[in-house]
Amino acid sequence: MPTNSGAHGENDATDNKTPGTNENETAAKVAGGAVNATGVSANVSDTNAKAAGSSADIGDSGVNTDAHDNSSVKASKNAAGSTDETLNAHVKGVSGGNASGVNGGKAGKGKKKGWIWAIVAAVVVVALIVAFVVIRGNQKVSDGMARMHKSDSVTVGLKLAPTNLDIRNQSGSSLDQVLVGNVYEGLVARDSNNKVVPGLAKSWEKNADGTSYTFHLNRGMNFSNGDKLDANDVAWSINELMTRHYHDSESLMNFKSVTATDADTVKLDLTAPYANLLWELACRPGLVFDKNANYDMKTQAVGSGPYTVAKFVPNDSITLKANPKYWGEHKAKTPTIVLRYFGDDNAAVNALKSGDVQVLAPVTENLAEPFVKDSEHYRVAAGDDTDKYVLAMNSKGVKTSDVRVRQAIRYAIGHKQLIASRGGADKPLGGPIPSLDPGYEDLTGLYPHNVDKAKALMKEADYTPDHPLELRLTYANTYGTELGDQLRSQLKPIGIDLKVNVVEFSTWLQDVLKNKDYDLSMVDHNESHDFSQWTQDSYYYNYSNQKVKEYYNYAMAASSDSQRDALLAKAARVVSEDAPADWLFNYRITTAMKAGVQGFPLNLNQTLLPLYNVRCMTTVK
Amino acid sequence: MRFVIRRFLLFVVALLAISVVIFAALRILPGDVASVMAGLNAPPERVAQLRSQMGLDRPLVVQYFSWLGGLLQGNFGTSLLTGRSISSTVAMRASVTFPLIVLGLIVALAIGLTLGVVSTLATRPAVRSAFHFIAIVGGAIPALWGGLLLILLFGRGTGLLDVLPSQGFPEAGWGNFGSALASLVLPALTVGIIDGASLMRYTRSALGDVMNSGYMDQAMACGYTRRQAALKVGLRLATPQLVSVVGLMSAGMITGVMVIENLFALPGIGAGLVTDLGNRDLIAVQSELFMLAAFFLFVGFLVDLLHRFLDPRLKHAVQGGVQ
Repeated sequence: MPTNSGAHGENDATDNKTPGTNENETAAKVAGGAVNATGVSANVSDTNAKAAGSSADIGDSGVNTDAHDNSSVKASKNAAGSTDETLNAHVKGVSGGNASGVNGGKAGKGKKKGWIWAIVAAVVVVALIVAFVVIRGNQKVSDGMARMHKSDSVTVGLKLAPTNLDIRNQSGSSLDQVLVGNVYEGLVARDSNNKVVPGLAKSWEKNADGTSYTFHLNRGMNFSNGDKLDANDVAWSINELMTRHYHDSESLMNFKSVTATDADTVKLDLTAPYANLLWELACRPGLVFDKNANYDMKTQAVGSGPYTVAKFVPNDSITLKANPKYWGEHKAKTPTIVLRYFGDDNAAVNALKSGDVQVLAPVTENLAEPFVKDSEHYRVAAGDDTDKYVLAMNSKGVKTSDVRVRQAIRYAIGHKQLIASRGGADKPLGGPIPSLDPGYEDLTGLYPHNVDKAKALMKEADYTPDHPLELRLTYANTYGTELGDQLRSQLKPIGIDLKVNVVEFSTWLQDVLKNKDYDLSMVDHNESHDFSQWTQDSYYYNYSNQKVKEYYNYAMAASSDSQRDALLAKAARVVSEDAPADWLFNYRITTAMKAGVQGFPLNLNQTLLPLYNVRCMTTVK
Repeated sequence: MRFVIRRFLLFVVALLAISVVIFAALRILPGDVASVMAGLNAPPERVAQLRSQMGLDRPLVVQYFSWLGGLLQGNFGTSLLTGRSISSTVAMRASVTFPLIVLGLIVALAIGLTLGVVSTLATRPAVRSAFHFIAIVGGAIPALWGGLLLILLFGRGTGLLDVLPSQGFPEAGWGNFGSALASLVLPALTVGIIDGASLMRYTRSALGDVMNSGYMDQAMACGYTRRQAALKVGLRLATPQLVSVVGLMSAGMITGVMVIENLFALPGIGAGLVTDLGNRDLIAVQSELFMLAAFFLFVGFLVDLLHRFLDPRLKHAVQGGVQ
């Protein structure tokens, strides 16, 4: 801390001055000491260099203030004068008008004791308050009778906090996590296996060539402010999205038009078939807003879901209250749900231990151990998610455009070892599509861990451990330093000297995502259905393969889901073979909760967290 | 009075200079709030659209003067990300940080002054070096580690004596006074113990100086014992120096408690500043830094005034100089 280093400096400065005082005789010391003391105080405050210069009168008033006997003061004044005659003039000039100084000094004497007492009193007061709080806290536990009881409120500890509530503009899965399905509802929804299920629309059909969808809405729907929700709100919301280019609007590909044919029917037309349409409508593009409501979307939310936002403290907490006007089947089981965000993993774990939160998602696996052991009071479980830890290798980079280098890196990485050191819950992933997304196929066999093969490939490319290839790995500091260290040591034996460059996320966005200035990059791509990244030449991967684009386009035009999935799987296989990246693992969320908590979703809960069913049963004594 | 005016003008000029430095330094940082807002999958056009919506595509000079214009009217601006007024956000965070600093200072003063005085008065070499040891060890404790240790000892649910909340601030804020205060006890102890140790060193050296000076001889010649002289004369003389140290310490604590706020999951100024900077919410960051700088300067200003109040010698020194 800065003050500490300051302390050393001050000590040195004052120590150096002390010997000077000792050289004077006793009487002269009075003045000498005064010079010294003021010299120090001027040093510290840096305010007035003059203070030290006119030291004689300073010494004089100092003595006046503190000494009892006037005669001794005079003696000392003379003594001070004898050391410096010019300053003596000041002494005389000032001593006449010094009465106030003396008075002030005498009044100060009473204060001195009071001052010490004040500190003692402050300590006692703090101690008393603490004791009071503690005793009161203990009392709470020991009243009431033993019975099962559903809590009125559940507090959930999360990690990534949304900065605002504007789901139409602000990116980030933390916003989807809180708002989608809880506060805002979509035309359709998705379940915990990432499959599309009815939402505001109870059913839908599409025409034969897949270019026109008709949605039949539920009846009697309304927003939390009491406004009716009908087909006009749906059409308006999607039209706004497309004309104003809100977040994720580009994922509604081939969009042509949307109209409300009557109050309960919405017709959506496409220019060409798009197989992901329904799934996209289950996410942000399908959310329905109140066209008649006027509110600040950054700080408030008016939706049709089972909860409303009662209070929002950016980066700290969100309080959800059950929506009394909720129209549907997903009625909130718990009246109040508080979402609290923890930047520090230890603080999060302490909050669960102390009972301040009842659920923690995610909990770092290594920190979850005490909860795993205490299975009587806690439950710890892992759920699937679509998080892909992608180690991108710049396909157009000077050093990484050589496919042999990229393949060697894939052979050299020990995925099992990486996963084990993180606790073992994550799954190996051999390609760009995770198990919860369409087109998944186990591709881990394409590049099995094989150091010899990696060495041979590197040798072909003219690199050996004695003549290594220097590569820079850039990733955001949110992922910790361990991953980089592990990769460095795994790549060293095959002749790669990895320089790990851990940066702030926004720097990563600038250097890697925008400027594509990197050799290797690592980031958690947590989005679902994001395979199209591999078909965009302009994306930071710098990857381009005509065959992949064709497969993908066919997949998106496919008339059945199975046809789409087969084509996507083919495309994913080609991408993985080309080795534009290594997929370190498919991150799985570990959730820890109190034994009485029920209905908390485990799968996908970092992007999709339906809370209506969450409740906490406690035994009240 | 003249001194106060001159000092105040200096304060204003310094603030202007600081506003330029803050604005320029933040513009050197890579990345911007628009790309943070747009996320990983957004096309570049979307980022450009957000930039122009937020006025980030205006020339820097225009941006600077529109910010400065706001400051002059007491308007610190609106955060681009949260959409809230920056002054109210800072006020909310300050309602955690300032009480924490005050409590921390009380702990630091209680520890630092008491031990400092006692260790100066101690005559036996063994006792003196024991105190010296305490001061060094106390000052050397990393805040994070000290905080964790306190949580392990006293944290509710985690500690040996599970009595105090180890994280979070009550939702009702100071409306729930008891638990708000309780939630600050461990953080304040963490800050206080460490700063108390360095304050102890300051007290020792300041008082030690006075002890070697002629004032003590004088006071003892008047019939005081050594201890009485130290407490009644010595402390009074050492006060101006200690006031400076405590002033700097309280200003420094704003950033010093940053780590502590994070560890105890308190929504304070430090934790907020780090988040805003990470999100490149530059309008928020520059206004927050500006407020912090103003606060630092203000504390300095206050310390100077206090000095003159506590140490009448300074006033006469200047008057003498003017005459």
